[in-house]
Amino acid sequence: MSGEEKRLTMIDLARVSKTFPPDVHALADVSLRIRRGEMIFLTGQSGAGKTTLLRMLCGIDRPDKGYIEIAGSDLSRISDNELQKLRRRIGVAYQDFKLLPDKTVAQNIAYSMEVSYRSRQFIISRTKQLLTELGLMDKLDALAGKLSRGEQQRVSIARAVANEPELILADEPTGNLDAETAGLVMQLFRRCNEEGVTLLIATHDQAIYDYPGSKIVRIENGRLAIQKPPVIAKQGEGRA
Amino acid sequence: MNFLVAVFSQTWRSLVKSWRSQVLSLVTITLSILIFTFFYLVYNNALQFGNRLDNDLRLIVYLDEEPDQTLQQEYRHKIEKFDKVERIEFVSKLEAYDRFKGQLDDSQDVLKDIPKDFLPSSIEIYPRRSLESLSKIKEFSAYLENLPGVLKVQYGREWVERFNSFIQLLQVVVFLSGGLLIMTTTFMIGHSIRLTVFSRKNELELLRLVGASNSYIRVPFFLEGALLGLLGSAAGMAALYILFRWIRAAFAETAAQGMFSFSFFDTPTAAMIIVLSVLLCAGGSFVSIRKILSV
Repeated sequence: MSGEEKRLTMIDLARVSKTFPPDVHALADVSLRIRRGEMIFLTGQSGAGKTTLLRMLCGIDRPDKGYIEIAGSDLSRISDNELQKLRRRIGVAYQDFKLLPDKTVAQNIAYSMEVSYRSRQFIISRTKQLLTELGLMDKLDALAGKLSRGEQQRVSIARAVANEPELILADEPTGNLDAETAGLVMQLFRRCNEEGVTLLIATHDQAIYDYPGSKIVRIENGRLAIQKPPVIAKQGEGRA
Repeated sequence: MNFLVAVFSQTWRSLVKSWRSQVLSLVTITLSILIFTFFYLVYNNALQFGNRLDNDLRLIVYLDEEPDQTLQQEYRHKIEKFDKVERIEFVSKLEAYDRFKGQLDDSQDVLKDIPKDFLPSSIEIYPRRSLESLSKIKEFSAYLENLPGVLKVQYGREWVERFNSFIQLLQVVVFLSGGLLIMTTTFMIGHSIRLTVFSRKNELELLRLVGASNSYIRVPFFLEGALLGLLGSAAGMAALYILFRWIRAAFAETAAQGMFSFSFFDTPTAAMIIVLSVLLCAGGSFVSIRKILSV
């Protein structure tokens, strides 16, 4: 890969495999390259390996084999300190939300900005802006544990987006949402994408990716199956 | 938001969240500090008492012959070679006779037929009034007994030895209570940190996931430990001061109080105890958090 190509690449996976004991092959020989500023939908059935892939991209799990590079950083060689710095540039909306139930919505969202030492003013205005966009402004001071699943999901998305990351990884971001609120979330993601943010959205909600020009990577039984358009992802040795 | 604001706000949140365990740690640290400082205060006062010993503490070296000026210089040189002393006085046979006569008052007649040189000449050595010199007094006496021309060495042996034993016992007690302080403080800090980590498990996990640096996670615990150390030692010192005032008031009229003036720590010593407690607690929490969270 040339220097210019490397600069333009946000995610680079080469022959990544992951097996969980005793012998669950979550990912097998997955190669994928995503350029900066792209919005990719990672689709597939439950258990196909989407969440495993996202967890490895944010450094929670490590691959058994293969190579992962995010924004030019090789995750297998990165120090703990560098990984933490990298995580501040990645926003993750987890499938299980990872919210603190005894904290307010505002406090939950603020965490991602506080670790980057954002100003108090920025944190407050950004939190209000995102909650307004996601239709949750009236829940600003509500405890996260008291919210519905759909509301918690939106708070988790707001936290992922809040620190203006370069990369957003979203795991089933519309899984608990009705069509209208899913539309709000997608609107937010598109706006981020237009601002240059790279997005990788793991979903099996066809409604959010079924539009002309969408870029889709399908994963089946831990292997990349279909890519649309094919130029962004390659299987096995045929990696670009 | 800068680093300091962020960690102070984290510290505050953590204190609010785990205040029960913090109060327990605070009470333990206060009691440990109180126990240690009490014995240290007694020890400190005993040392000062040793330094204030009156002139009665002297070594009397009886000589078989009256030393001339040259021999006196030689004795003086040999004595000071062993240890610095406050002063050395040579008492001739005649001076010894006059002193004895003066002590007899109305019974001086008994000396009528006795020659004026019947008492031996002597050297009176006044050791420095410090514990270091007092602790060496036995060795000093043995050294003097081996000097040429010395018949006998006399001093308040029993009193000095008892005082030395008391000081040594106090040293052991201070040492043990210091050890107890270190153990209880580090144990309680470690325990408190463990409880805090447990109660904030999800929050700490989230902080790692959103990219909090090791310092961002570690420093609030460090500050928490330092704060516990500061409050615990300040409370312990305050309790000791109240106890000290009570003891002084209760024993103000006794004879013991007259010869043993009981004083509190001076400001630098009190400040040093507080600073050391803060460092101990902060260090304890730092080690615990590294061990528990591996950050």
